[in-house]
Amino acid sequence: MLIDRIDVMRFLKYDVIILGSGIGGFTTAIHASNFDKKAKIAVISKLHAMRSHSVSAEGGISGVLYPQINKDSEKLHAYDTIKGSDYLSDQDAVELLVKNAPKEIVFFEHLGVPWNRNEKGIIQERPFGGMSVPRTAFAADKTGFFMMRSLYDQVQSLPNVDIFHEHFATRIFRTKDAVGVFTIDLATGKHSVVYGSSLVIGTGGFSRIYKITTTAHSTTGDGIALAYNAGASLKDVEFVQFHPTALVPNGILITEAARGEGGYLLNKDNERFMKRYASSKMELAPRDIISRAIITEINEGRGMKDKDSGLEYVYLDLRHLGKEVINKRLPMIKEICIKTIGLNPEEEPIPVRPAAHFTMGGLNTDINGRVLDIELNHVSNLWGVGECGCVSVHGANRLGSNSLSQCSVWGRIVGKEVSNNTHEIKNEDVKELEVLAEAEDSRLKEMLSKKGMYTVYELQDEMKDVMEKYFYVYRNEKEMKKGVALLEKILKKSANLRIEDKTHIFNTNLRDTLEFLNQIELAYAVGVAAYNRKESRGAHSRTDHPKRDDKAWLKHTILAKEGSGIKISYSDVKITKWEPEERKY
Amino acid sequence: MRTSKYFAFFYLSMGFLPLLFFLLLVSTVYNYIYYKELLVLTGVDLIVFSVLGLLEIYKRTEKIKTNTLVKNYINTVKSNDYSIIVGGFDTKSKEIKQKQYKVNVNKYTSVLDVLLQVKKKQQNSLAVRYSCRMGICGSCGMVINGKPALACETNFMKVSKDKVVTAEPMQAHPIVKDLVTEFKDFFDKHSSVEPHLIRENVKEQMTGKTPYDQKPSETNKFLPYSYCIMCGLCNDACPVANSNPEFLGPQALSQAYRYQMDSRDQSEGRLTAIDKLTGLWGCEFAGACSKACPKGVDPASAIQLLKLSTVEDDLKK
Repeated sequence: MLIDRIDVMRFLKYDVIILGSGIGGFTTAIHASNFDKKAKIAVISKLHAMRSHSVSAEGGISGVLYPQINKDSEKLHAYDTIKGSDYLSDQDAVELLVKNAPKEIVFFEHLGVPWNRNEKGIIQERPFGGMSVPRTAFAADKTGFFMMRSLYDQVQSLPNVDIFHEHFATRIFRTKDAVGVFTIDLATGKHSVVYGSSLVIGTGGFSRIYKITTTAHSTTGDGIALAYNAGASLKDVEFVQFHPTALVPNGILITEAARGEGGYLLNKDNERFMKRYASSKMELAPRDIISRAIITEINEGRGMKDKDSGLEYVYLDLRHLGKEVINKRLPMIKEICIKTIGLNPEEEPIPVRPAAHFTMGGLNTDINGRVLDIELNHVSNLWGVGECGCVSVHGANRLGSNSLSQCSVWGRIVGKEVSNNTHEIKNEDVKELEVLAEAEDSRLKEMLSKKGMYTVYELQDEMKDVMEKYFYVYRNEKEMKKGVALLEKILKKSANLRIEDKTHIFNTNLRDTLEFLNQIELAYAVGVAAYNRKESRGAHSRTDHPKRDDKAWLKHTILAKEGSGIKISYSDVKITKWEPEERKY
Repeated sequence: MRTSKYFAFFYLSMGFLPLLFFLLLVSTVYNYIYYKELLVLTGVDLIVFSVLGLLEIYKRTEKIKTNTLVKNYINTVKSNDYSIIVGGFDTKSKEIKQKQYKVNVNKYTSVLDVLLQVKKKQQNSLAVRYSCRMGICGSCGMVINGKPALACETNFMKVSKDKVVTAEPMQAHPIVKDLVTEFKDFFDKHSSVEPHLIRENVKEQMTGKTPYDQKPSETNKFLPYSYCIMCGLCNDACPVANSNPEFLGPQALSQAYRYQMDSRDQSEGRLTAIDKLTGLWGCEFAGACSKACPKGVDPASAIQLLKLSTVEDDLKK
């Protein structure tokens, strides 16, 4: 049969194409389907769709559910978020977030998420870092997992949504009225072009450019890099969140909820060292502050060292919480510690250190999730949702549990937007797509047959070492200059790659290579943006410019591709109610 | 010389009669296996089918030979090194093959770490699924030392025997390449049991502002079954799913139970849809699924409870 031949490309037309199947991508699909029941929707995932990295979210989702009981308000949630962001977030977007977040918690309840409830059946909320009052709803410490499963299961009931499991996207095409994604079906190696009226990017962040990270192997920022190459601009990519408590040595996330429930951070001398860095919030200060505190403790010799991995760490102590709290509210943490390092947190303190966790920056989008170019004009028919879209609500530092609310709030907004964007696609557009697809097809064939010098794995390790060494919690001019130069070198080497696996069926060697090309592009962007921001703000902390500088730097970094280099510009931060003030906890 | 060949030689040397009996036997067995018919053949048919039968015997002995080749290869890795034997489907030769690799491990190293080490340094083409490496995404289900397990949650040193660990693909799913197996059928079965909350008022479900009522005691009825990560290991362990591809399998059935027991669910058709021999009555209560589940879900109990609720449901009508 002709259609089964490997060299025959398929062209599949949809109204809405969603790249990425995390919480952002799936909520967009459900809402788009709900707003327009006739729209044909495609969800494309490079994994099995239910395995996206959103499943690893642990602690919870923020939203003001009970203003009276907790003496809470949307205004207070907004203030906490903006203060946490070190005043870099766009305040109109934050106000939108806090207004809609409670509704989204209820939405997920309606999909079947088993939120922890009290005896009367009221959804409970727990304290979280940087939040003034408890306002994080949770389902034990598997919140993201339960949200993902209920979304995936809900999508099974929608006849107009097609899921493409294990289809790896290699290029985004844009013509006058159409957008398309070039994909490789991993199982067969067949190429297809999925095209249509609107494209939503929901592929998550890119923390895997670092060596030790809490995120899944799949978080390589593919969608961001593809859109960046298709004309979109990047915003604030220098702000990479380092989660203070990643398990040593494998980097697996130990949720902030462990501290929310009352866990202590201890140094070598058994001292709760956070009193020296954030005396009022202690272990529940924002993540950037705690990460810096831990690194300072380690640098000043009050950390401990793991013999097998050579990593230095401090302790997260949960022993005083008791078995009941750990089993009921932190069961996964216990399971992970026992299974991966053979340590029971009920009996021993957990060794932790900061590791890359979340990328505050990403695709530059407006308040409705529409992707912008460097002149701040709309990139036609393109949206960004979830971690990969920088709206920007997290600014220079995200507060824990705000990310799940961001994914679901903008999932709904973008779902509505794209359901109104369905339009005819002319023959000229399809013809143009065919030409572009041919070119991409031959690029991939050339990559496969090339006899290059390096394998992707060597260069990937090199890149990760550079990022870990020069762009970690503390940064400075001299080191970053070295780092950028090294990244440039790796970028040059990446044109000279060889792929050992020449077959078509489940070629993960080719997939890894394409992923790496996306990673190195973003790593270089992070390097350039970080080098150029000459102040300390949120997660970007420079020892040579230790103070925040609102006069010169209260602005977003915007990057766009220019030839093989990068063009930098800056845009204003939107301030509605809260003027920048000193950030102290 | 192999025993089977020795016997063939023995019979042949007995003269014409035993040969005829032998050929009759071979051709009858061959006929029975391939055409499911019990026929005793004579004449030309007898000769044709005996030749086919003998060819089959020859092919099988050849396969045994390739297996000894693998064993010889294994002996080249020194016995004091840690090593992993990776079995799986080789897409080039279209055969199930095993290969052994020397690896570096410490007390923290998981089987997944080791496989990725092999992929990076020794065999770039090795196909294996992985993502979260913390036991929650469900990608890396495989058979480790003969037992279904998640590679990321299995500590290499703990499970190694004589410093060797064997990793093979799951058996109940068709194999795509190396350790990667096909999941389409598995996902289709999952979707076929209406695995989601069904509400009469869909608009309220999508946009409503008040949560549905549920007490913790009601949540606890389905909570243990909601931990399913869809890794496929329970179906792999299930003897019924392995022999009858039509059987819905423990994963899909346990998820049917999870939503059926949710006090917020208003479905009426879910139980009827699975009330069949290839559905919940296919379960023979071997219990292998519950033993295999890496997340402590107990599909076996879910299916027995489902059986009970369908009977109750039936009596009510």
